[in-house]
Amino acid sequence: MNTLTTPSASNWLNKVPEAALSFWIIKIMCTTVGETGADFLAVNAGFGQGMTRTVMGALLAVALFMQLRTRRYTPWIYWLTVVLVSVVGTQITDLLTDGLGVSLYVSTSAFAVALAGIFAVWFWVERSLSIHEIFTRSRELFYWSAILCTFALGTAAGDLATEALGLGFTWGAVSFGTLIALTYAAFRLGGNAALTFWIGYILTRPFGAALGDLLTQAKTYGGLGMGAMWTSALFLTVIVMLVAVAQFSVGSRMNAHAAE
Amino acid sequence: MHHHHSLIRPVAALSAIALLSLAAGCSKSTDTGTVGSASIATSQTTSAPQAKATSKLGDLSAFRNIAADVSAIVDKGDLPAAKARIKDLEVAWDSAEAGLKPRAADDWHRLDKAIDPALSALRADAPNQTDCKKAMADLLSTFDSLQAKL
Repeated sequence: MNTLTTPSASNWLNKVPEAALSFWIIKIMCTTVGETGADFLAVNAGFGQGMTRTVMGALLAVALFMQLRTRRYTPWIYWLTVVLVSVVGTQITDLLTDGLGVSLYVSTSAFAVALAGIFAVWFWVERSLSIHEIFTRSRELFYWSAILCTFALGTAAGDLATEALGLGFTWGAVSFGTLIALTYAAFRLGGNAALTFWIGYILTRPFGAALGDLLTQAKTYGGLGMGAMWTSALFLTVIVMLVAVAQFSVGSRMNAHAAE
Repeated sequence: MHHHHSLIRPVAALSAIALLSLAAGCSKSTDTGTVGSASIATSQTTSAPQAKATSKLGDLSAFRNIAADVSAIVDKGDLPAAKARIKDLEVAWDSAEAGLKPRAADDWHRLDKAIDPALSALRADAPNQTDCKKAMADLLSTFDSLQAKL
């Protein structure tokens, strides 16, 4: 523990949420909503891939700017940024694969190396990869570049599993779900908290995509046939509710601090 | 720290994952069942050409029907109507990606690459009938070659 700040003070200063159950639920659902949202704009609304990329990139820049400007953890800004990072991370991989014809083996390895590089520099500068004390500008920038990279890597690795292994969404959900459970077990058995957190962060990207596909895909393909619109509406409702609860509890904690 | 206090959350998380995996496993087993019986049915009648041909990607007739429809509209010379109709193919194809691609990724990419020129020919600033006809003919022959492969 940090000796200079009490746990409650570092809690208050930390600009990113703790990784509790609701954190992971929102994170997984953001993946699906981000992907179906971007798909809807590109195909159904007829914006095209190029236009959608520009719009999403601009929105991410605005959200990230707000996230960096805010002085404490503000759930709706934080999660808006995560949804947009999820969309842009996915688009980067799609652009490389579909637009530039880069092999998924190459992009998966490149993103893995890039992520390792970000962690190496982060650790070298900060002497820690902890997500519990993200309140300086440099730590925030490390945190968000690592998150963008995990989404791109998770997309590429998930697509590679589909292409190379013919892994459909049903077995995808089972396999990635099992890997997440193992990572969680490793964490509970005393594994490195930062390492298990980031492995979980990568794995929840393809898991979220597979879960989304399982709900949206037609029954003929082995899905539940809910369709993209209803799945997104359901997930968005859950996200908004959980973020509203988080926003409310941050607000009441602030009042409690003020009253002390 | 708060380990005992928060034990309920990890338990809930694990049971949610287990439940989802179970649901996924069940729907998968029915899926492989139908695919398996379909491939048996086709292997018995490979010598005879059949009306309801399937490919490694499964039944593509819903997509081919839209493409044939677009092609017929192009032949009539109504390019704006063909452009409107091909969007149905784009949307249907895009939304079925997660279901179709794992069955045969290479075939999926062949078809995906054949749909792109058809879309761009019809969506060109000044679309011309010759280009559209050629793109649609190529697309239909890609469909047919994938179905003939089995």
